[in-house]
Parts: sequence; structure tokens; C-alpha cells
Amino acid sequence: MSSGSVPLIGRPADAVLFRLPGGAVSADAFAAAARALAEALPDVIEVPNRCRGRLNFALGFAASVLRGRLSLLASEPARAEGWALTDEGVARILSPLRPLWRGEREGPTAQPWEGEVGATAPPALGSPTAPNPLRPQGRRGLMLPPTFPAALVFTSGSTGDPVGHVKLFGALAARSEDAGAAFGFDPARPASIVAMAPPQHMYGFETSVLLPLHAACSVWCGPCFYPGDVRAALAAVPAPRVLVTTPFQLRALLAAGAELAPLEAIISATAPMHDDMAAEAEARFGCPVLEIFGATEVGSIAHRRTLDGPDWTLYPRVRLRAEGDAALVSGPYAAETALGDLVESDGAGRFRLLGRRTDVVKLGGRRASLAGLSRILTGIEGVVDGAFVVPEDLERRPTARLLAFAVAPERSAAEILEALRGRVDPVFLPRRVIQVDALPRNALGKLTEQAVKRLVMDIAGRQATDIRRGRACPGHPRGAVPLADADGHEPGDGLAEYAVAAEVPPGRGLAEPSRAGGRDKPGQDEK
Amino acid sequence: MSIDTPIGTPIDTEAAREREVAQLIVEALHLEQTADAIDPDAPLFGEGLGLDSIDALELALAISQAYGFELKSDAGRNRQIFASLRSLTAHIEANRTR
Repeated sequence: MSSGSVPLIGRPADAVLFRLPGGAVSADAFAAAARALAEALPDVIEVPNRCRGRLNFALGFAASVLRGRLSLLASEPARAEGWALTDEGVARILSPLRPLWRGEREGPTAQPWEGEVGATAPPALGSPTAPNPLRPQGRRGLMLPPTFPAALVFTSGSTGDPVGHVKLFGALAARSEDAGAAFGFDPARPASIVAMAPPQHMYGFETSVLLPLHAACSVWCGPCFYPGDVRAALAAVPAPRVLVTTPFQLRALLAAGAELAPLEAIISATAPMHDDMAAEAEARFGCPVLEIFGATEVGSIAHRRTLDGPDWTLYPRVRLRAEGDAALVSGPYAAETALGDLVESDGAGRFRLLGRRTDVVKLGGRRASLAGLSRILTGIEGVVDGAFVVPEDLERRPTARLLAFAVAPERSAAEILEALRGRVDPVFLPRRVIQVDALPRNALGKLTEQAVKRLVMDIAGRQATDIRRGRACPGHPRGAVPLADADGHEPGDGLAEYAVAAEVPPGRGLAEPSRAGGRDKPGQDEK
Repeated sequence: MSIDTPIGTPIDTEAAREREVAQLIVEALHLEQTADAIDPDAPLFGEGLGLDSIDALELALAISQAYGFELKSDAGRNRQIFASLRSLTAHIEANRTR
């Protein structure tokens, strides 16, 4: 990467960046389509990218960047408060950030634009040999200053209210190059990525939109939602094949008993991968299960093979240093940012997670990680899912204890409590285990702070009135978390429309005792 | 089958098949309501039953296990298939292998 400018696409002109059923999109074809779309964009200073198709999403991003505009990964749908990303909603999310960049750019007359990028301008996608209108000019026009603010990504609320994070293009490009190196992508043998993670999420954005622009890989842009889609997608792309997924989705693949084309690697993020699932997947699919560690604030920063143990290896140009309790991460064009996790670093590019900083709970002079406690809970036989939660009045009420929620249809609350008794320091034992139908995880398996608050409020309300049953209950946490769009839907997948239409899905009641919810495991929040 | 299905009712009527699929939905997704309460013509996703994409994945698994065929996202047919309990039941009847 030169210091002066960064190419939008750091790949050979004929390299395949994206694949569709029956077609492939070369670097040049993609650049041409992105440039055409850039010229068609309205004159706005921010481009909320709400494309659900992966290729359209990638084009929308590239086009807004080429146009010199900030691309908003504006997929965060309904909030806990229940509003959606309308014009007003966009304004609400952005308001704290506007002074950061609006002052440096255009005047206050520019308005946010809410169009569907790419939806009205179907990209002219050719085969790798299609005529390239850009070729006479070369690709000089596709160079960008590394300090250009390219994307605004929103955290999904694990640590509180939604916050936007500006990503400079140089940082995105450098991290993609680093990821390609970390995963051993070889230009002589480019990887074929099939990604189940949605492109609007930082994990999916990095692994399925940015990665093919700067690392030796192509990304499948056809349907990739059901296990059958994944099998068909993997069969349609050349080896070496890499599946980008999440623990929740991998669980579905394993449950479906899908026979997949030979895989080079499975990459997972967004929630901790349990060793058991990693071992099962490695045995079934005959490839290593790798994990990416990152956070929306800092992007992907480290990787590991789950079964090799708890140590993470930093990406080549990512630096990590400790300052008191905080771990500060930096990289090219990415300023130092504190991780939300407690880490133990060896100072030589490897580190171990000790738990989430905000999840470290102190009781009776002892410290414990909520993630660690939750892992113990979910390790109990018959507990399908579970989480330890800090009551809001923990510090004010000397007798307060942690709350524990469990999805365990075959076990009684007393049995679970008994099992915890031998494994958890008594000070951290909950007074009782609250059995629920399912934990209010979002589409990526995360248990957000807001969802937890609502769950606690819902339980409290139930105890008071015991009348809130059924799906018509609007306050239920499951209905309040943004499940709808983070699903990797692709063009032609009609479910996406239905799902997104349900921006605030009606809640469903909690049942005690209940059947298994089947969501994935809790733990420290990795993305 | 729900308990109020009269004994001796032929199972191959459309209503009975719909109720069977409704029961599958209720069980697979742990819904609070009963199978009988699902309107055969109401949308399953969106404003009807309010299912979401995680539910879609769970439901697809349950359908493949119960009826021996897999759902796919091809050709945008899922919009029609999941339009209602009635359309989903028809799709299952047309594709089931058991």
C-alpha cells in the first residue's frame, strides 16, 4: 500500500471478485459498474446502504466511496424503542456524529438520502472478459486517499445505545490485506468465500465485501441462507472453498446433516465457538474451524483455530498494548481504540481473553466474568442456552445476587441451581434460575444489553401480573431485538422482504417451563 | 395434531394438513399460541405471525426433518411459499418425500 493513495481494488484486472449463479464478476467489471453507479447517485453527502443483495451492497459501497461519499451501513433495523431506519431514524442515529465529519465536507444544505443504492440502477455485470469502459483511462480514478472516511458502521448495542463508527478507507484496505495474509489466501490459488454473515454487519462487511477487493479471494453472491443454499453455493464455486459463518448458523448446518463440497476452512465470528461444536464441524467437514476476533469499533483484529486453545494471534499490522485495565488496539489508519474486553497479552502478537470489561462483576470482593459464568451455566447438561445477568441494583443492594436465565426444557430450575452450586463461587450463585423459552438473542447470536434489560423487565412484569402471554405482547425482548435483516439474504430470496417488513416483530411470550430455544451459546461478545 | 381433531377425521383433508403444519410451526418455533389460532391465510412473516429470519432457518430445519425435503432460496419462490400457512402447506404437499 503506497502512502499517498490506496486503490479501491487491489487485485489484478481479471481477478474474480464476486460470483453469482452462472457468472463471475472481475475486478474490472466491478469497477466499471461501481463507477457507473457512482455517477448515478444523487448529490448527497451520505449514502445509507440498505441493499440486501451482497453484490448490490458491495457496489453501493464502492460507488459511494468513488463518489467521495460516506457509505452508511444502515442496516440496524428496529431499535429497542421500536423505531426503524426512516429518515427521522437515520437522523437520530447520526446526530451525535454529524459534527465529526459534516463540518469538514459540504454545507448544511445536503440532505440524507434514503434510496436503495443499486436497486434502481441494476449494475451492468459482465463476465471477466466483458468490454471494460475504464480500460482506456487505466485505473487511476480508482485511487483513494487512505484518510478518506469511507464507511459509517453502527455497533449493535451490546454495550448500550447504538453508536456510529467512521472507518477510514486506508484502515479497511489494510485490514483486508492483513486478513488475507492471516488466513493464507494465495493469489496463485484464490479462495472462494461463501458467506452466511450479512454484509451490513461489520463481520460480513469485512469478510464478504472488503476482503475480495484486497485479498486473493472471491465471494459468492447467490442465495446463502438455508443449509441447502450453502451446499449449492459451495458446489458452485471452485476450490479452495471457505465458509464464513456464525455459531448459530453453523449449528443449523450441522443439524441439517448437510454434506458439503470439500472445505479449506470454516471461519466464524460474532459469538464464541464452543470447542464441542468446533470439534464436530472439523470432523464432519474435514477442515479447520477458525475464528475471528474483533468488534465493530475496531474491526477484525485477530484469529485463532478454536481447537488450538484460547490464544488469539493479532493480524500482521495490528498492535495491542495494555494501559491499566484497558487493551488498546491500533492499526494502519485506525487510531487507538480500547477493546471492551480484558485481555492478557504476551506482547508478541498473541493474547488471551479474560472476559468483557463491562461484564466483569464484583461481588463480595470477588471478580468474575459474566461470560465465564454463562459458559459454566451452558456447560451444564440439559442447558441449551443460558446467561448470567447483573441486576441493575446490584451495587446499591447489599443482598443483591446475580440473575441467571436458562433454556433447559429437560431440567428443573432447582437441578440447574444445584449443578451450579458445585462449580461457581457461592457469592456468584443466583438466588434462583429463571427458565425461559429462549434468550432474546439477535440474528448474530448476541445478547444485547437492551434485550437483557427488557427480559428482566418482562420477568418482573410477569411476576407482578402474570398476564402477559402470547405474541401480541409488544414488550417482549425477542420482538425488540433487531433480528430481521441480519440474515445474509441475497437477491431472489423473498424472505428478506418479509423479514425486513417486520421491523418490530411482535413479541412472543415467555413460557415456564419451556422447550428449547436453540439459540447459540452466550459468552463474551466478539463482534 | 391438535387434541380437538375428531377421532376418525381423514388426515388427508386440506384443513387437517394445514393444522399439522401449524403444529410443526408452533413446536419448532416455541410459539405461545395454539396451532388452531394460526390463520391459514395470514402472512407468516412480517405483520402476520411476525416470524423473522432466524425463525425461517429453524422452520426450514423442522420441515426437512419432518417431510424429508429441503427449502432453498432459489428463484424468489420463498415469498410465495411463506406467504401463509396455506401456501406453505401446499408447498410441503408438493415436495414431501415422507
